[in-house]
Amino acid sequence: MSDTMNTTVQPEESAPSSSRTLWGDAWARLRKNKLAMIGAAWIIFVILVAVTADLWAPQLLGSPTAIDTATAASNARLAPSLEHPFGTDASGRDVLVRVIYGARVSLTVGVVATLISTAIGLVMGAIAAYYGGIWDTIIMRLADMFLAFPYTLFVIALIAVIGRSLQNVFIAIGILGWPSIARVFRSAILSIKENDYVDAARAMGASDLRIVARHIFPNSVASIVVYATMNIGGAILTESALSYLGMGVTPPTPSWGTMIQDGQTFLQTEPWLMILPGLAILTTVLAFSLLGDGLRDALDVKMKDA
Amino acid sequence: MGKYILKRVVQFIPVFLGVTIILFALQNIVPGDPVLLITGGKAVSEETDTAIRAAQGLIETDEDGNAIYDENGDTIPTPVWKQYFNYLNGLLHGDLGTSYSRGLDVTDILLEKYPYTVRLAALAICIEAVVGIGAGIVSAVKRYSFWDVLVTLVTSVLVAMPAFWLGMLLQLFFGVFLKNVTGGAFYLPISGAGGAHAEFQGWVYYILPAITLASVSTAYTARIMRSQLLEVMNQDYIVTAKAKGLSRGGIILHHALKNALIPVITYIGIDFGAMLSGAILTETVFNWPGVGMEIYRAITQRDWPIVLGGVTVIVVVVMIINLLVDVSYAFLDPRIRYGSPKKEG
Repeated sequence: MSDTMNTTVQPEESAPSSSRTLWGDAWARLRKNKLAMIGAAWIIFVILVAVTADLWAPQLLGSPTAIDTATAASNARLAPSLEHPFGTDASGRDVLVRVIYGARVSLTVGVVATLISTAIGLVMGAIAAYYGGIWDTIIMRLADMFLAFPYTLFVIALIAVIGRSLQNVFIAIGILGWPSIARVFRSAILSIKENDYVDAARAMGASDLRIVARHIFPNSVASIVVYATMNIGGAILTESALSYLGMGVTPPTPSWGTMIQDGQTFLQTEPWLMILPGLAILTTVLAFSLLGDGLRDALDVKMKDA
Repeated sequence: MGKYILKRVVQFIPVFLGVTIILFALQNIVPGDPVLLITGGKAVSEETDTAIRAAQGLIETDEDGNAIYDENGDTIPTPVWKQYFNYLNGLLHGDLGTSYSRGLDVTDILLEKYPYTVRLAALAICIEAVVGIGAGIVSAVKRYSFWDVLVTLVTSVLVAMPAFWLGMLLQLFFGVFLKNVTGGAFYLPISGAGGAHAEFQGWVYYILPAITLASVSTAYTARIMRSQLLEVMNQDYIVTAKAKGLSRGGIILHHALKNALIPVITYIGIDFGAMLSGAILTETVFNWPGVGMEIYRAITQRDWPIVLGGVTVIVVVVMIINLLVDVSYAFLDPRIRYGSPKKEG
């Protein structure tokens, strides 16, 4: 659509024409997808709640981490009430406020781990596809090795080695997530590389880096966005599993997985302790996958796996 | 065909070596001295220390397993590459070393735990195949019907749900709620694999863990089955069969299903490999005495021989199953056999 010959671009025209770009088109299609919009709305809601929590949540529901030793025993494991809509945990802390703060951990891990996987995956995929030959073989065999490991066990073993902390959780999930995105990006590049405009750029003397940055990356950005969106949900699930196994963030920082683990002890008597954190994981992961599906359809990205 | 199998086996070797090197490297960079891990942190005499190091292959020994000393009277640490070689050599002879914390052979520990994991995986695969394929077929045949929407909805939720949380919900409903409602007349066991509770037959213990383990995979199987069947139904030969006047049921049963099932069976095969790797989360929720839980326990206690041995066995099992799946795929779908000449039609 870039009509460079037309030197007299009028500002009034640029506004409607923007809806005819790839992203404008995609947005128009995405807006019609109800499920994707529900997913997006839920994600925005969770982000807002997590970011603004300090301003209102502790005032209404009490501290998410501090244990008041004087009242801990009498307030422990209270059933849901007006004051504590989802009850209190074994240390007398409000379950709802801990779920609200737990969103911070889940979202941070989901986004940062995905950024790490995507960055490594992009570089690896680009090298493999662009240079091919021995580089392709080495990188793809390395990806096979990573994928041959049972994923959960590998993440746990890595955490056992590098230690237990929020930072290490997203590093471990991020590092181990690159092979699948490298494969996606590699096949995207391989198909883009075949286009005549890439040959034309090369014939005009463009460097490898310039071709990747100016031609290949912009043309594969749609598949990266779709893949990353779906990956965030997966990373949130992995984080919750790690926390559930006691390999995630350290207490007293609330995390949805840790809360489920705590709740398991009282499953027979106070089952509400594990219900809300589980629902929080389910709805957030579902929201990312609905948004991812919507983006895939809107951007018309072909993915091999359902 | 033979050429294809050979090619896959040759590809298997560098991946296997790479995996063992990664595992071995992990073991060597983890914090913690093996002697302290074995003795549980207690200080020991120099002789005991030397004996432990000799038994674990950390220092050079003579043929009888006694430590060799250098001219200063110090023990000689075994070089890391030699430790790796010894580990690999032991592996090929079925020797995976000795557990730090239990003093038992890792091979024996894994042999004791594996049957539980294998039986659980087998039952979960049956659920996955029957329910997943069934739901996928119904969903595709009755496209856009109530059942299709229901299957899509349920699979989306199952995929987004932490499996361990689903396991706990099942425990809550079948183990706690039903017990209260029926006054203890009917409920399902929610922990362990039998033994302690005489009121249950052993197999009853498998029901809830198997459903939990199968949940996510069943959802994926149903999705793949649906999309494959819908795709196959658009192929020319199906259109021809319709034009010939065959019934819709006959077309689906005799023509479409056969081809649509190939990718589904591949997925289930690979998934079986993944399940054999010990469902660490399911096993933890249900306190299941399988490999997954054993390895998890070993990781938290830094019992590295069990971790290393267990994960090595798992990775080899997974890779062999993937290999078998690939080969059977090539057998079912001739187009996969790269080496063979292209056939028409």
